[in-house]
Amino acid sequence: MAALGPWLLVLPATMLLFLLLVLPVAGTLKESFDGASGGLLDNYQAFFADEFNRVVLIRSFKIAFMSTFVSLVAGFLGAYMIANASPNLKRVLLILSVFPLLTSVVVRSFSFMAILGRNGVVNTLFLKIGLIDQPLELLFTQGAVVAGLAYLFTPLMILSLVGVLENIDDDLYAAAGSLGASPVGVFFQVTLPLAVPGMIVGSILVFTGSLATFVTPVLLGGEQQMTLSTLLYRKAMISFDWAAANTIAAIMMAITITCVIAMGALANRIAAGRKMR
Amino acid sequence: MAQNAVILQDLVAHYGPTQVLHGLNLTIAEGELVSLLGSSGCGKTTTLRLLAGFLQPTSGQITVAGKDVTKLPPHKRDAGIVFQNYALFPHLTVAENVGFGLKQRKVAAPERKARVDAMLERVGLVDYANRLPAALSGGQRQRVALARALAINPPLLMFDEPLSNLDAKLRVDMRVEIRELQKANGRTAIYVTHDQEEAFSISDRVAIMNAGRIVQLDTPEVLYRRPNSAFVARFVGFDNLIEMKVVKREGDLVTAEVEGGALITLSQAETGPLEDRFVVGARPEGIELTADPSNAIAGKLLTRSYLGRSYQYKVDTPTGMLIANAPLTQLHEEGGAINLKFNFEHCCILPVEEN
Repeated sequence: MAALGPWLLVLPATMLLFLLLVLPVAGTLKESFDGASGGLLDNYQAFFADEFNRVVLIRSFKIAFMSTFVSLVAGFLGAYMIANASPNLKRVLLILSVFPLLTSVVVRSFSFMAILGRNGVVNTLFLKIGLIDQPLELLFTQGAVVAGLAYLFTPLMILSLVGVLENIDDDLYAAAGSLGASPVGVFFQVTLPLAVPGMIVGSILVFTGSLATFVTPVLLGGEQQMTLSTLLYRKAMISFDWAAANTIAAIMMAITITCVIAMGALANRIAAGRKMR
Repeated sequence: MAQNAVILQDLVAHYGPTQVLHGLNLTIAEGELVSLLGSSGCGKTTTLRLLAGFLQPTSGQITVAGKDVTKLPPHKRDAGIVFQNYALFPHLTVAENVGFGLKQRKVAAPERKARVDAMLERVGLVDYANRLPAALSGGQRQRVALARALAINPPLLMFDEPLSNLDAKLRVDMRVEIRELQKANGRTAIYVTHDQEEAFSISDRVAIMNAGRIVQLDTPEVLYRRPNSAFVARFVGFDNLIEMKVVKREGDLVTAEVEGGALITLSQAETGPLEDRFVVGARPEGIELTADPSNAIAGKLLTRSYLGRSYQYKVDTPTGMLIANAPLTQLHEEGGAINLKFNFEHCCILPVEEN
């Protein structure tokens, strides 16, 4: 009887998770395998047969990869600056970099519309200094979506990297310097390799996040730059094609899980490679 | 006369508004190992950081091998440094760690490998060349750190408390090993530590530091027998410092009064010439417990503790608490009256310091 106690205690939470997470996800998966003509993979075949869907799938990948790359670079610079700042400045910079996370995704994506729009900050500035004589079409491009997503997710990258960079022992830098490594050499031979675990964690967060967001591609990409998530929305809410929507959801889930596993394996291989050499 | 390998001249250093070095002067001859010894905050690590280039002095000059390096960044100074926490690169193998400095110097891979192998051979870690530092024990890591510092053939080796993370037995082995490697290569070395025994056993000369200054710089033998100040005396084990005032001089013999009225006769042949006021520094083994009250300080025996080779007694006297060691054959009861006599062979004479 005593052994049952702990199980009873976790029961409510387990039930909640089961009802609200496991059941719906299982339902989605089941529906995606329920083809119209009874075939298990009918829905998937239908999805991949449509060229438009393939374009959207590849575009989603491209956008997620590019925004991950941009926020990796920007996030590394930011985290490096924060990790090397004086304690007081560090606090301020950290708060500033996390601050965007406190506002809604919608607001942040709208702010990018204000920046990139026909009468936005960028166009106004370029027109004024005579760089262009006609407003550029910046909105509803792939670049706009990538920029918006990178802006959205860079704080996550910074947070993943600051801890890793701060944990590098200052004596390692001192040792590398005393052994003759220039500051640039120290960066590439010590800082960067030791930051790899943080870079992987941050990349997983940004990549999966970029792949799943809905608001940013809708607002900054519009109809022209449809991604998997916006396509899913259209199938479900506009054309009421639930089978297709379920299939897209299942595909997105599969991509996310594959990415997490692949990046985790990459991290392990780097660690193992270090041990083997 | 060996050439001076390192000259530190009037070094002044600040951490923010706090001055941590007050005009430090130190000259190290080629091939010599000099220790900087002192408690934390005395400026010994600061001195090392200045010498390595991690810190810029407010004023003063640093010369290494005849070259003014005061303004040079660390990576242009050719310093081989062994850190307290080893500071091995965790993502590189033992061999890559040792070869790091050679790689920076663009030594070609085949020669680099040969030199790394030779170095690993010397520290007995050939079989560990492909391991990561995380897979090594503390002593092995320290050997890797040592090999890494030596691999670049530095004109100057620096040790920053290299043994304080090791256990006692290993510490003794490693310091012998460090000394042998340093001597075998004829390297000039500077060694920072707070451990007196370690500093004395490993060094040609020891600089005892206090509050940003070198208080005394001498060979371990001189420091141990003839400290020049109360600070150094306490540091090297003269636990009892007793001020005396000369009341009578008779040829070689001097009679001095201790606070509380006791009269002690000293022979200047034994102690050297004595000022009118002086301080006697006595090790616990330099004070004898006796029933004979002549030429002795009377006191009350407070506590006795067993030290293995002897008993240590704390004795309350008019001039303060004194500590004396007595052989095991001589047992005194706590609480009794006792007289303390000096054995000047285990004592030193210090000037009176006004404070």
